[in-house]
Amino acid sequence: MKISPPRIWRERYNYYMLRITQCLDCGRASYPTSLTCPYCGSSNIRTVNSSGLGEVITYTISYFRIEGQEDEVPKVIALIKLREGAIVLGEVVDVGLSEIREGLEVEAVLRRLKIDGNSGLIWYGMKFRPIIGAGIPT
Amino acid sequence: MLSSNTYIISSALIRVGRYFNKSYKDLIRELVAELNKDLPIHDYIDYVVVSNVFSDSILEQLDISTMIIQELNLTPKPAVRVEAGESSGLMALKYAHSLIKSGMTSTVLVIGVEKLVEYPTTVVNKYMVRLLNSDVEGRYDIVTVNEAALLMKLYMKKHGHSREDLTIWPIKMHENAVNNPYAQLRNRITKEQVINSQIISDPLRLFDVHPLGDGASAIVLTNNKELMSKVGTGCVELIDVLHASAPPLTHRSDLLSLPASKYLFSKLGNYGVDLSDCVLEIHDSYTILAYLIVEELGLSDRGKAPYVVTDIKNINLSGGLKARGHPVGATGVYQVAEVHRLLTSGLGSIKLNNSWGLVHSMSSIDNNAAVALIRRCG
Ligand SMILES: [Zn+2]
Repeated sequence: MKISPPRIWRERYNYYMLRITQCLDCGRASYPTSLTCPYCGSSNIRTVNSSGLGEVITYTISYFRIEGQEDEVPKVIALIKLREGAIVLGEVVDVGLSEIREGLEVEAVLRRLKIDGNSGLIWYGMKFRPIIGAGIPT
Repeated sequence: MLSSNTYIISSALIRVGRYFNKSYKDLIRELVAELNKDLPIHDYIDYVVVSNVFSDSILEQLDISTMIIQELNLTPKPAVRVEAGESSGLMALKYAHSLIKSGMTSTVLVIGVEKLVEYPTTVVNKYMVRLLNSDVEGRYDIVTVNEAALLMKLYMKKHGHSREDLTIWPIKMHENAVNNPYAQLRNRITKEQVINSQIISDPLRLFDVHPLGDGASAIVLTNNKELMSKVGTGCVELIDVLHASAPPLTHRSDLLSLPASKYLFSKLGNYGVDLSDCVLEIHDSYTILAYLIVEELGLSDRGKAPYVVTDIKNINLSGGLKARGHPVGATGVYQVAEVHRLLTSGLGSIKLNNSWGLVHSMSSIDNNAAVALIRRCG
């Protein structure tokens, strides 16, 4: 068993909902959620689901090959600024290598991340794709 | 007669490389055979501190420090493994330094060892993901290479550099490594080779990335002045080992800053370190990081490092992580051993008269950073 059931259950909000922390003192947002604001240290925070909408700050096309996932390269990895202000690292899918660009507007989409063999769990999580519809439900 | 200062009196290194026919124990046996030429280490070592990152992942071995003690027949001497990502080597040095400074012990053997090429590269790559946050990067198998590529792109855009402008660092590192007998890649390279090498994570190419190799290195740290006359090839003083941490990349207000390293470099003035009279070994795991470190050190204006590195003398004379290699947990110990050699008996044929040595290490994109300050004896 390579995927821990309690772990993916415990982290379901961060993994499936793109849940972010908004600071009620300095106003900045961050991902993943934390008990205090990483910018000002305030514990006067609230946790909300991100709209999942954002913009590519910059990106790289990766050919770095990892055992068991050799078929997944090339893949597009990007720094994305969510509309709420938080910056996240993520993978951009459903995009041609000539279509990816800085400033591209993207939306979060639930995708399969990893499979634990033929009979184990499937781990899902958020990736990003060029906007084609509304954001994820909040 | 114990000193209130701590000295590095001896060092041992093996060439970083792909040792398919040698185990980590074999590599350490070679180091110890070299150290034993002066005096058997059994006679004077009180404690062993081992820096290693991937023993659990690649060797399926925990408590590797005890396995090493048993292998070397050094029982009942105590040993411990230190792991702090790519800064492990300097953290092990910090641990050893603390044992001596606190008066708990007098002479410590610090060993850095890493065995990476036990499996094909794609398997080792899988373990490299573990250097980053498993709840963030780990989910997408994002590695430091990818983050370095993102920074390289931001740097090129912000400062108007072409891809070609950034080739100077790896060329310089390969040039330096020619003179280091312990370097993994001892061949000169050209600008064309760098820009035409395989893309790893665009715009970062094969020659912008440290190679994978096995390595082992050791240093002897002591406050026992009498030992110096019996052991080693000359001493340097270990002034201090500093370390610090930084917020994750996504939480940094300036993505092109290295907050932990910057913080440590800001302390150098307190120790009177003169960078113009200093041998530097910096953590150039990826080309772009070398430029950012040079800028954080104040050796260049922001965005100008690619134009000035040619003129910076005594930086990564080993060839750096780029060409000496980066046997992850062993790297920091290599850097310190190299500075010890450079300031005493010589590294290969290179010998320097500088007063200071500065070793810099960091994990991933400056998640943590460490600096060792070394001063010539006497
Ligand atoms: Zn705040």
